[in-house]
Amino acid sequence: MIKLENINKVYRTDTIETLALNTINLAVAQGEFLSIMGPSGCGKSTLLNIMGLIDEPSGGRIEVAGQVVANYNSKATARFRNQHLGFIFQSFHLINDLSVIDNVELPLLYRQVSGKERRQLAQVALEQVGLKNRMSHFPGQLSGGQKQRVAIARSIVGRPNIILADEPTGNLDSVMGNEIMDILLRLNAEDGATIVMVTHDESMARRTHRLVRLFDGSQVQ
Amino acid sequence: MIKHILTLVWNKKRTNMLMMLEIFLAFLILFSVFTFAINFLRMYQSPLGFATRDALLVQLMLDDGMDSVAHLEMRQQLRREVELLPAVQTTSFNSGVTMFSGSMWTTSNNDNGFLLETCIYHADEQFAAAASLNLVEGRWPEVSDQNNKYAPVVINRRLREAYFGDKPVIDSIIMLDGEKKIMGVVDHFKYQGEFETERPLTFFFLPLHDENLRTLYVRLKPNTPPEFEEELNKTIARVTRRRDFVISSVDADRVRQSRQVWVPMITALLICGFLILNVALGLFGVLYYNISKRRAEIGLRRALGATQGAITRQFTAEVMVVAAAGMLLAILIAVQFPLLAVFDVPAENFYWSILATTILILLVVLICAFSPSRQAAAVQPAVALHEE
Repeated sequence: MIKLENINKVYRTDTIETLALNTINLAVAQGEFLSIMGPSGCGKSTLLNIMGLIDEPSGGRIEVAGQVVANYNSKATARFRNQHLGFIFQSFHLINDLSVIDNVELPLLYRQVSGKERRQLAQVALEQVGLKNRMSHFPGQLSGGQKQRVAIARSIVGRPNIILADEPTGNLDSVMGNEIMDILLRLNAEDGATIVMVTHDESMARRTHRLVRLFDGSQVQ
Repeated sequence: MIKHILTLVWNKKRTNMLMMLEIFLAFLILFSVFTFAINFLRMYQSPLGFATRDALLVQLMLDDGMDSVAHLEMRQQLRREVELLPAVQTTSFNSGVTMFSGSMWTTSNNDNGFLLETCIYHADEQFAAAASLNLVEGRWPEVSDQNNKYAPVVINRRLREAYFGDKPVIDSIIMLDGEKKIMGVVDHFKYQGEFETERPLTFFFLPLHDENLRTLYVRLKPNTPPEFEEELNKTIARVTRRRDFVISSVDADRVRQSRQVWVPMITALLICGFLILNVALGLFGVLYYNISKRRAEIGLRRALGATQGAITRQFTAEVMVVAAAGMLLAILIAVQFPLLAVFDVPAENFYWSILATTILILLVVLICAFSPSRQAAAVQPAVALHEE
C-alpha cells in the first residue's frame, strides 16, 4: 500500500544542514497496522508527513496506493490526498468555529459530493466513533477524547485507503487513549483500513501488527 | 462550499462584526460623496446652451436721472459704436440678472390653471444670435414683435417639458405678468452655472429704452486678444461718460463660478481617497493577521485535499461575504434617499452612486483579501500544521 525507497529528508538553513531522515526503506502492506516509534526529534512525524504527501522528501521514491506520486503537481497531490489518505493529529486540528459534523464533512467539501450526501456520510462516520449525539456541538464543548474521535471520524469519512495517525493518543489520558486505540484497531480489523501510527507509547505500539523504530533519522528496527 | 463559507462567517460573527461595521460606515461616507460628485458631474455634462468663449459682459452704471429717451439714445449709440469696433461681432443688452451673476429672478402663478414656476431672463432681440442660443422650436422675437397684442416670450425646453409635455407651444398664450405669446423654445440656458440644475425659464424682451437693461453682452470675433478690452473700455467710457462700469470675460466668470464647486468636490474626493486607502490598509492588516492566525487551519485543509486555489477562493469569499453583509445594510439605508425623495437630487444619481460605491468597495476588499489568502495558501501543509 505504501512503499518508501531510500527516502532522505534534509532541512537546510543558511548555516546548518540537518538530516531528518536517512535512507528509509519501508513497505506497508494493505490492511496492515504499523506503528512507528522513536525518541523526540528522530524523524517520526517527518516520515509520516512524507507518507501523507504533505511534506516532500529530499531524495528517494514514494509509492502510495500503487501510484508513484513524485511527479504530481500540487493540485494532483491535493486530490490524491483527498481520495486516498486520512489524517489524525496529536492536537486534533479541529476547526473551533465549525460544529462537529461540519468538521467531519471537511474532506468531502473538496470532492464532488452533494450537501445531503456529505451530511449522511458524516453521520455514519460519527456513528462509527460513537459521537452521533454530539453532531451539533462545537469542539470547545468536547473533551480531548471526544475531539480525537471527531478527528478519527473526519479521517474515515471519505473512505480513504490509508489512515495516518500522528500520536493520536499523545494528548489523552490512558483511558481515553485506549478508547481511541480500540477505535483504530476496529477500523483496521473490520474495515480493512491500512493504518500507520506514530506513537511514543510502547503499550499502544504493541497492539499494532508491526513496529518500526527510528533513531536519529535512521530505521533501527 | 457556499454553505460552508456562510456557516463559517456566521459562526465567527463576533469577529466579523467590526469589519462589517467598518465596511458599513465606509460605504455610507463614500455613497454620500459619490452622490454629491455624480450629481454635480451630471449637471456639468448638460450643456450651458450659450457661448462663453469670445464674450464679454459689461455691467453698465447709468445715471439715475436718465429718462427713457436718454436711455434709448445712449444704448443705441453704445451699440453702434461698440459694434463698429473691428473685434466685435455683435452685442445684446441684458438686465442685471445675467449669466454667472449669482442672482436669479423667479416668478410663479396659478393663472394658467396650474402652478407655473419659472425663472425670468430679460434680454433684447439680438440676444439669441449674440449668445449662440440653440432654438429648437419657433424663432427669437424681433423688435417689431414688441408691438403685437401679446408680448413675446421664449421658453427653455425644461419649462416646455415640465408644463406642456408634448403639446404644441408655439404661439400659445400664457399668463405670466399678463398675457404672453410663446414664440420659441431654446434647447438649454443654464445661466446660473455649469454645476446648476437647469430650471424652467422664460426670456422676456425689454425695449432698449428700458432702464433695466444694464448689462451689455459683447460677442467678439474668435481669438480676440485681451488687449481689446482697453479699446472697449475707452468706447464705453466715452459714450456713457462714466468710468465705474465693469468689464468681465464670460468664460472667466464661468471658470470662477465652477471653481466654487470643483474645489470642494475634489477636496471631498481626495478625503474619500484617503478614507479608502485607510480602509484598505486597515483591512489588509486585519485580514493578514486573521489569515495568519488560521495557518494551522489552512494546513489542515490542504492535508485534507484542498488545493491552493480552493484555499485562496475560500478565504477571499469569506471576506467578501462579510463585506457584502456590511454593504447590504448600508444599501438598505442608501436606497431610502431616492425612495423617500429626501433631497432634490434625481433618483438615478443615488442608484449610480450605490453602484459605484459597491464596485469600489468590492474591488478594495477583493484586492485586500486576495493577497494574504494567496500567500497563506502557498504554505507547505506540514509547516502550517506544525505551527499550532
